[in-house]
Amino acid sequence: MTFQQFAYHNVFRNFRNYAAFFMASFFSVFVFFLFSMLMFHPEIENGFIGDISFTGMVMAEVVLVAFSCFFIFYSLKAFLEVRSKEFAILLHLGMEMKQLGKLIFIETMTIGFLSSVSGILFGFAFSKFFFLIIRELLGLEKLPLYLSWPPFILTFAVFMGAFAVISLVSVKYTEPPKLGVLLRTRYGDQRVTYSKKGAIWGVLLLAIGYGLALMTTRMTLMFSMWIPIFITFGTYYFFSDTIFLILDLMKSRKKFYWYKARMLSIAQQYVMMRQSARMFFVVTMVSMLAFLCVVSLAAMSSYTAQYDRLNPLGIVYKGHVDNPYEHEHINRLMSELEDGEFSYHMTRFQVVKQTSAATSNEVEVFRETDINRMLFSYGLSLVHLDEGEAMFIPSTEDSIQKLEGLVVDTVLIENDIAITINQVYPAIIFPVGIISQNAIIISDEDYQSLRRPLQDNGEVPYYHLFAFDIPNWLEAKNIGLSIQQLVSQEYIINTEYSLPFYFENNGSNYSYILAMYALFTVIGVLAVIVFLLAAGSFIYFKFYANMETERQQFIALRRMGLTEGEMKRIITRHLAPQFFLPWGLALVHSIFVFIALQTLLKDVMNLIIINETIIAFCVFLVIQIIYFGLIRWRYIAHMKE
Amino acid sequence: MLQIQEVTKVYEGKVTTRALNQLSFEVEKGEFVAVMGPSGSGKTTLLNLISMIDVPTSGDIVFNGKRPRQLNSKELAYFRRRQLGFIFQDFNLLPMLTVEENIILPLTLDEQPVELMEDRLAALAEKLGLENILQKRPNEISGGQAQRTAIARALIHSPSLILADEPTGNLDSNASREVLELMSQINQEKQTTIMMVTHDPIAASYCDRVIFIKDGEFFNEIYGDERRQTFFQRILNVLSLLGGQVGDFSTIRLP
Repeated sequence: MTFQQFAYHNVFRNFRNYAAFFMASFFSVFVFFLFSMLMFHPEIENGFIGDISFTGMVMAEVVLVAFSCFFIFYSLKAFLEVRSKEFAILLHLGMEMKQLGKLIFIETMTIGFLSSVSGILFGFAFSKFFFLIIRELLGLEKLPLYLSWPPFILTFAVFMGAFAVISLVSVKYTEPPKLGVLLRTRYGDQRVTYSKKGAIWGVLLLAIGYGLALMTTRMTLMFSMWIPIFITFGTYYFFSDTIFLILDLMKSRKKFYWYKARMLSIAQQYVMMRQSARMFFVVTMVSMLAFLCVVSLAAMSSYTAQYDRLNPLGIVYKGHVDNPYEHEHINRLMSELEDGEFSYHMTRFQVVKQTSAATSNEVEVFRETDINRMLFSYGLSLVHLDEGEAMFIPSTEDSIQKLEGLVVDTVLIENDIAITINQVYPAIIFPVGIISQNAIIISDEDYQSLRRPLQDNGEVPYYHLFAFDIPNWLEAKNIGLSIQQLVSQEYIINTEYSLPFYFENNGSNYSYILAMYALFTVIGVLAVIVFLLAAGSFIYFKFYANMETERQQFIALRRMGLTEGEMKRIITRHLAPQFFLPWGLALVHSIFVFIALQTLLKDVMNLIIINETIIAFCVFLVIQIIYFGLIRWRYIAHMKE
Repeated sequence: MLQIQEVTKVYEGKVTTRALNQLSFEVEKGEFVAVMGPSGSGKTTLLNLISMIDVPTSGDIVFNGKRPRQLNSKELAYFRRRQLGFIFQDFNLLPMLTVEENIILPLTLDEQPVELMEDRLAALAEKLGLENILQKRPNEISGGQAQRTAIARALIHSPSLILADEPTGNLDSNASREVLELMSQINQEKQTTIMMVTHDPIAASYCDRVIFIKDGEFFNEIYGDERRQTFFQRILNVLSLLGGQVGDFSTIRLP
């Protein structure tokens, strides 16, 4: 028997021991391959897949590899730990550490090769189904299956490389086991060390994070930025220290702790938490991200309708009164719209800036006729104003309510025109951010007498606004692309916006938002799949590895008079935290983050996402419960064997 | 108090084996009985049958006039946790519990009040010399201490029968002696019935009576006398008659 044969037999003759590691690797490869299939999809260059950019996909792929590597590394480490006794015997028989390293390397590569090949095969078999889901998710017309080499080669190369690196690293960092100790000990070290300080920090950081999330308003944005940091560190301390403090508190109350099989459950949690604290931390954080992604997607469905309401205009072009490009740009836009056979309605505004005496703030003044022309194309009710009357133009939905019933008597200082603002238009007619928050409509008569411009303080006294109302605005996303590029460049190059014009195409904005969401969603869904499958299989096979010892314990306990019901209860309590603690904490985190997001989004874009959030959470919970039931059932069956 | 009546146990499998064949004997209350026999003679099977882990193919086991076989699985579990105490060869202490928690485990299963647990624990710990290690974990104590912990666990609920399966199998001679003396002391002071399955003639010599089985059948029984040394000699004599694998037994002869 050569050395290679020995390693090979090791793997194939106790495949059961290797199953945990194999499954974790297999699922990583599987998901990675599916994603590669999507990334190299020939339609993606045609912008077919919801405008997701190739660069974004590559970044997502890198993130996915990082997570997969972490998982594989973690599984390998656990796997080597389980086998430490076997290694001790080999070393006892005279094997060198170098040879042991070689053995681990050959074995890992064998498993890696097997899982890569089977992961790719299964991945290819499932890719049709996967494309179907993605198609539904992103609302694409079609996403056909294709066959080309790059996804296969990439997946294989990346994972074989990863396996080589991971096995070398873990061999390098494996300390030579202390033979005597390993061969003799019956039980591993069960002591847990934790710091009370860390435990308190965990609670404190989480409390601060949650508190900040609750107090978030648009004004406290600077503080809200810190929420993720507080929550991340809080979670870390929670799993490394706080959990043990809580368990210790439970233990110190004997009336509670010395009751029925509770002692067994709690003591077991202690050991388990120590083994998997780091993994729980990562699972919590990633689950939270996944929640955020999926909920965002759920929010999308209601977003389209709201987006239309909040952004009633297809294209907006705003230019200074002396904008030299105005003529050229408007002509170009119109000819592009005509070439694209879009029906549209253009309204040209000349907006005058004046100073209001009541607040001494700057106000933007619109003419009644111009506004009515635009309202007519919207199909909304028209405005009728008499001389001396004026109407607010609301900037957000909230401001409609706020301005309702408000009566302001004021004078436009520059031209000494007295007006009474006593109405508010009951809908949003301009997209957010295009016009000032202090915008009013006045009658044509008053507008005629606006002769003197804003007292000069460097401000431009007039501007021109071209509003294009396009019923098919979603399809008009490529209109004015060249002007859009000028605007984007200006944003990137200069900190201060210095162009004499501004352009916004809501179709392209929307498709950009949609693509971002879609990208995050795909990544989120894949991350969820990786974690659901890998974490679940990992938990299960970890039990599988310890099963013999656990079964001996249960046999002894049954002799001592443990009923079957009690055994089941112990198993439930043993498994439940592994499934629900990281997810539950992620859920709580997400709820607080959503409270913050909800307040922020409400101010920025009036998005109500509570219902979608609840639905998404419920779906997650149901999946997790089914998964838990499945594994509990298998586990009990093994224990009763 | 314990009657084994014509018990036969047949294991069906690829090879059918008759582990016990019409074995009958009785154990009186307050007795310290050893069951000896070569490997494969059915000792462990017998213990499993008495502890109701396994069901005999035919025959009856009567415990205090009752037949535990007729109980359902839940009643059986309650019977075990109240009436039986176990001492295992490999101790079977739960590694995640401290010594103290391991000892009181049977009482917690039975929902006893904490005060009672503390009282009994204190009394037993003092008696078995475990006061200093109560807060330690099983991996931090010696084999002798672990077995004393297991004995404390077997005693804490004052069972009517203690079943010991090779209690000295994993211990050195000093620890073995300590454990055996402890068991016989408990047997005498508390009138606890103990049934011990063993290979070791020294261990058997601490008992009142030794029952020998061979190939699942009753072979012989001898009663102890005043001097342990002569009893030990007589046990060895029977063992040499038994044949089997004499190599299993230690060849030490006490003066």
